[in-house]
Amino acid sequence: MIKGLYFDGATSDKKEVFLYVTDTGRIGFNGINKEPLSFDMIKVSPRIGNTARYIDLQDGAQFETEDNDAIDDIVKSLSPEKFNGFIHKLESVKRFVLLTVFIVIFIAWGFIQYGVPYFSREFASMLPDDASEYLGQGILETLDEHWFEDSQLPEARKKELTVVFNDLLVEIGEKNIVLEFRNSIKIGANAFALPNRTIVFTDDLINLSNSNDEIISIMLHEIGHLDNLHSLRSTIQRFSLAMFVMVITGDVSTSSSLITALPVVLLEAGYSREIEAEADTYALEKMLKHNINPVFFATIMQKLEASHSSKYLECRKNDKYSLEECLIIAVQDKRESGKDDEMIMGYISTHPLSKERMQRFNKAAF
Amino acid sequence: MQDNDLGKETSYSDKPFEFTGKAMEFFSIWIVNVALTILTLGIYSAWAKVRTHQYFYGNTKLDDATFRYLADPKQILKGRIIAFAFFMAYYFAGLISPIAAGIIFVFILLLIPALIVMSMSFRLRNSAYRNVKFDFNKNFKRAYLIFSMPVVFIGAYVFIASQFQPEVTVDTNENAVLSIMIGVLPLLILFLIPWWEFMITQFKVLNSKYGDAALTFQATTKDYFKMYALVMLMPMLALALIAVIASIIIPMIGLSGVNPFDFSGLTVMTIPIVLIILLFYVWIFAYVQTKRTNLVFNNVNLNGHQLNSDLKVGYMMYLYFTNTIAMALTLGLMMPWAKIRTAKYKASVTSLTPAGNLGEFASMQLQNQSAIGEEIGEMFDMDLGF
Repeated sequence: MIKGLYFDGATSDKKEVFLYVTDTGRIGFNGINKEPLSFDMIKVSPRIGNTARYIDLQDGAQFETEDNDAIDDIVKSLSPEKFNGFIHKLESVKRFVLLTVFIVIFIAWGFIQYGVPYFSREFASMLPDDASEYLGQGILETLDEHWFEDSQLPEARKKELTVVFNDLLVEIGEKNIVLEFRNSIKIGANAFALPNRTIVFTDDLINLSNSNDEIISIMLHEIGHLDNLHSLRSTIQRFSLAMFVMVITGDVSTSSSLITALPVVLLEAGYSREIEAEADTYALEKMLKHNINPVFFATIMQKLEASHSSKYLECRKNDKYSLEECLIIAVQDKRESGKDDEMIMGYISTHPLSKERMQRFNKAAF
Repeated sequence: MQDNDLGKETSYSDKPFEFTGKAMEFFSIWIVNVALTILTLGIYSAWAKVRTHQYFYGNTKLDDATFRYLADPKQILKGRIIAFAFFMAYYFAGLISPIAAGIIFVFILLLIPALIVMSMSFRLRNSAYRNVKFDFNKNFKRAYLIFSMPVVFIGAYVFIASQFQPEVTVDTNENAVLSIMIGVLPLLILFLIPWWEFMITQFKVLNSKYGDAALTFQATTKDYFKMYALVMLMPMLALALIAVIASIIIPMIGLSGVNPFDFSGLTVMTIPIVLIILLFYVWIFAYVQTKRTNLVFNNVNLNGHQLNSDLKVGYMMYLYFTNTIAMALTLGLMMPWAKIRTAKYKASVTSLTPAGNLGEFASMQLQNQSAIGEEIGEMFDMDLGF
């Protein structure tokens, strides 16, 4: 006898009844006037933890009980199906659950570490070039509107660098890459590789260098981004990561979306670092192959980093010092204070530690 | 069996809601859901959703009977596939052409009112209590009327603002009047938010049914203005507080010779400000959730049976704060625990004051319902619940 509640389905009226199984395997109810039913005329809801079980009868009535084990016994003895309660078994056996925890952590780690980068690399190379073209055009327009001004470099310097760039392209066997110059007070010294095969140098970065080899090393780094379709890849990575987090967390209404945003931000920074390292590898390989001393990348990186430090910005406000003097002061200051993390915040998270990057090129220097 | 008189007496006193879920038990269900979802590349997520809902419904008790979630996972999967296709189309169209993405976005925007109605309908028709289903009256016309209001207001504002660009107008007097208008209008629109939320909630409640009985809603626009008044005041107070703290700390940093733009200096300066913002964020979140739930529940009536909710802002803040910290420290593994304790607290402060016998509600004949509305809504992160 299983104690439970009976609802006829026509109204919300509740009756206390007792379920029993006859000798012939039929299900009957004590407390209401009903003929015992055969097992295939009823439907037993699957077990979910210790929540109430429902037995739906053919006429729309419902029996509700909390005696899960008794219902399980009936199902076991009367149901012809073997896989009844398979999911519940997974959920209720501690060993399975523990195993599942490890499986989930392992898969999540593998997916984030290898799956997302691999998938996005494959997918990026499948997309038509038009996609990159549109994407890059849009980015350049936005940048021009909000961040960039026209370059202030002398025409002769621009021409010289364009020649250097085109020679470099021929040498390394790349083509269809456009070099652009822009000035940006807001961004400072930096270079960008846009997916429509355009590389943008800011005036500040050009002014930081004292040798064209330094600029060539940055050019190679940016070509490395283009060669590996990094813009498309990071877009796809961001998308798959968001999807993955959504699938795992479902709806997180108990806290706020802040909690899911945080890991995504951290993981994206991780992917970004990976992408930067890949572009560095490309640059280093090409420099060694074409006899350009890798030390130039390290020197321009050091100056680039110094140019974003507060010491440098402070110094530049003062008319007494020239750009070179300020750079020297900033580099000196960094060396003395031993602080490697003194950069603008965006820089620290999305790029590998510049100390490590520089070391890599310094080691390969000749 | 109970004595008849005694039985009657207890049925008229307040009936508390009870949530009987356990964190460990739900953790097992959740982690198996996640594992199977990953292993089936997301397909199992529909079954996972049903099991999760069934766990929470089945553990919610009122007057000895439980709530029941009846949705068919296959239907949810169908909805999910369509929603996913929409989402992919929108996302990748954005990469290739902003115009194509814009068209898809507008298309989805136009569908939102219909999606909300379909989603409400799907959810309620698949919810039952005492073998009587809930229902939602699919009033598409009214949904479009209500949801198009902000579009009309904002559209009118953009139109007015674009008509009088500074370089077009020559008359400076006219210019000044217009700039005031353009500045004041957004505030007016902001002022309409409480009223709008009232309209939406009223729409949702009045079209909901339990069996063949319709819900009624006694809240007024005034209640919603009251609720928002504090929310709109608090940001100003918080800003003032931040300004005071910053004005104390920045000169201190200046004196000690640390550059405020220095990364190390920045952390010193930002810690109290970030803490205030975080605390404020949690407070706003908890305040709005709490007051909104209380307001809706305490004004929903079903044939004289009255719902009561007495959520406390302080306790909700504490819950959200500790939930967030626990989840952050365990990389999300404490999420099931967080969900269970939140549900437990919510149930513990909810009750029903019956006007008579709860057995009086009659069922309605219902047809099957598509899950597409609910799923697309969820993909685009809309709040579809009460």
